[in-house]
Amino acid sequence: MYRLTDFYRLSATLTGYDEVELQGTGVGPTYCKTLSQWVRQDVIQELYHRAEEIGSLECESNQAQFYERIWNCAKLGPVARNIIKMWYLSIWYQLPADWNALYGVDDFSADKQPVEDYVISSNAYIQGLVWNALGSHPMGAKQPGYGTWAFPGQSAKPLNLD
Amino acid sequence: MTHHHKEYDVVIVGAGIAGAIMAKQLGEQGKQVLILEAGTGTDGRFFDQGKEKGYESYMARFFTAMAKIPNAPYPNNPNAPQPLVTDIQKPPLDKPVSDHGYFVQYGPDPFASTYTRSEGGTTLHWLGTCLRMLPEDFELKTRFGRGRDWPISYQDLQPWYEIAEQHIGVSANADVQTYQQIDNPSVQLPFEANYDYPMEQIPQSFLDQYLAKGLQGMQVEIDNQPYPIDVVATPQGRNGMPRGDYRPVGAVGNPDLGQRCAGNSNCVPICPIQAKYSALKTLEQAKNTGNVTIETQAVAYNLEVDHKTQHISKVHYKRYHSTKSAAYDDKTVKGKVVVLAAHAVENAKLLLASNVANSSDQVGRNLMDHPTMLTWGLMPCKIGAFRGPGSTSGIPSLRGGAFRAEQAAFRIEIGNWGWSWPEGAPIATVPELIDEQNLFGPALRHKIAEEYPRMFRFGFLVEQLPDPDNRVTIDDQYRDQLGNYRPVIHYKVTDYTRAGMAQAKEVSDAIFQRLGVEPFTKYKTSDPGYVQYQGKGYVYNGAGHLVGTHLMGDDPKTSVVNREQRSWDHPNLYLVGCGNMPTIATSNPTLTMAALTFWAADNVLNALDQY
Repeated sequence: MYRLTDFYRLSATLTGYDEVELQGTGVGPTYCKTLSQWVRQDVIQELYHRAEEIGSLECESNQAQFYERIWNCAKLGPVARNIIKMWYLSIWYQLPADWNALYGVDDFSADKQPVEDYVISSNAYIQGLVWNALGSHPMGAKQPGYGTWAFPGQSAKPLNLD
Repeated sequence: MTHHHKEYDVVIVGAGIAGAIMAKQLGEQGKQVLILEAGTGTDGRFFDQGKEKGYESYMARFFTAMAKIPNAPYPNNPNAPQPLVTDIQKPPLDKPVSDHGYFVQYGPDPFASTYTRSEGGTTLHWLGTCLRMLPEDFELKTRFGRGRDWPISYQDLQPWYEIAEQHIGVSANADVQTYQQIDNPSVQLPFEANYDYPMEQIPQSFLDQYLAKGLQGMQVEIDNQPYPIDVVATPQGRNGMPRGDYRPVGAVGNPDLGQRCAGNSNCVPICPIQAKYSALKTLEQAKNTGNVTIETQAVAYNLEVDHKTQHISKVHYKRYHSTKSAAYDDKTVKGKVVVLAAHAVENAKLLLASNVANSSDQVGRNLMDHPTMLTWGLMPCKIGAFRGPGSTSGIPSLRGGAFRAEQAAFRIEIGNWGWSWPEGAPIATVPELIDEQNLFGPALRHKIAEEYPRMFRFGFLVEQLPDPDNRVTIDDQYRDQLGNYRPVIHYKVTDYTRAGMAQAKEVSDAIFQRLGVEPFTKYKTSDPGYVQYQGKGYVYNGAGHLVGTHLMGDDPKTSVVNREQRSWDHPNLYLVGCGNMPTIATSNPTLTMAALTFWAADNVLNALDQY
């Protein structure tokens, strides 16, 4: 059973987009299912639990914990990075072979990784966060209109990193 | 349906832009025309929005393709295979690259361009650039002692340029495209008085405007001669605002959107709303004459000659049942006239396979492209990258000049899509931010927001001379699954072109310096297109501009077609397409090819009247 609420909360931390923005893409449930398809439930649960224990990354000590317990963790780091890439690029990348050897096998299946990296769906491509982040639109979709390219262009909203 | 021994007025091989123009022109005059297309169709073609087989299915394929290369939306078809940019490798010194993709490449340099084998041809993924050639481009030999002269002049072609521009629906302003504002007489173009393009110039991107301002008054020196650097809007086969009562053909979907470019930023590989011209539009017009039949999945493989008359008596083709198997029916068809419009490489291949039209031994030779060198960097401020058509302006002021006696001319294309070409940005570059730079959350978002809108690149389309050793051949060893020949290519980039690349890099460096662009250009020795000139390394890419494989001339001993674009050897065989062009110069060749094809259609009509 995948937990969509947990998935959105963690995704917000990882992507820099808030949960409302993520929900607005409409592809959260698909990504949550994709994650469940390629990563064992206990690994996903561990990731959610640790992220919850660490809490907000606004405080520096929590950031240090995040790096230590998630980002640099051999088991959870690659999964966290894949979640970001899924949201930004709409692609599921194969997890590294050494990760797969240690954590990719469960009781029922010998190999839990797809044979190659793949774009999750047409709609996922269109909803990729990278386009919004760079102040434009996905190439081939969400057309801005005739002549809009002559204007300076929207800048992604300024972010306060303090 | 069978066409066994049925005789048409004209049989055309190839349903790309040249075949489509030929079919439309002939069909409108009541001639019975059959087009044989090696690739698949889009069912109802242009107007069909069907998600299963129509144009829309190309979009779904594009969205989910990992590598969004020019042919990404168009399925590979083992019965009509096509080259892919992802197949290109540096040919090893001792053996050809025979196991990667469709082309068999002997080098020494890789031929890096591709095309599409499908109804609509390569116009399905062209950018739409519609530049005319310069008057001096037709007289390279006479003026510079280089290459060849054409058997026709700019003045001869000018009325056909106008017809082609009207047909394609080019958006541009004639007073800008004469280049009279550029202080270099070599590049200035005579236009017919009072002529203008059918649609107004497409707005220049914010980047273009920024560059135009920043480069005002800039000059570079070549051989102690000053040359200006001017930013000029590029004429585009893409719908802008129509002039007068002109209306572009068959804009689809919502009339408020599809009738003009809506900034999908995706001209290559596919315009979702067909606001860019493609041959599907002309094919629809051809079909509507009621006199044109299009047979897809029909690969012509042999031309039979009547040895008494030297006429092409039959076209043999393989009509395969589906893309899923190699099963086919062997068929023949007759035409009073036969027109090959199957693309420069495929035309040459078919002629060589049939052993026709080659008394000059020039078929397949003189293959040219625009070796395209890129430079890229970060602008000092956000210039709104990744928006608008692929390119809306260029710097054409070095397209001509006395320096062509020594080195290649080039046109500078200004790219609107950041580092998408050189680096695959953003899809291919964002993983590095996460995996290597350890960015996530707001810091990742901020990095992309601050850096990506500053991404900028130039493309330098460098001239290449006709060289008989750069050629397409065939070899019994290399065949596709239908038993048809694969193109075997020998290709090199000579010092004349390399000198142009070096000059282009110098110009780029000067521009970067003037504008404060932080350079990120990297030419890696591992890149397939890595070449050296005077100790420095450069990398070229393919432009998709395949020219010269059956060039026209005044002398049957040294050319394949005459100025009417008719084979010297076979009175009823016409060749059309970029293969006819004796030199490539610096303009994207499609407009010139379209103009030549309108002319050729007139010649075919006149010839038919004599039968």
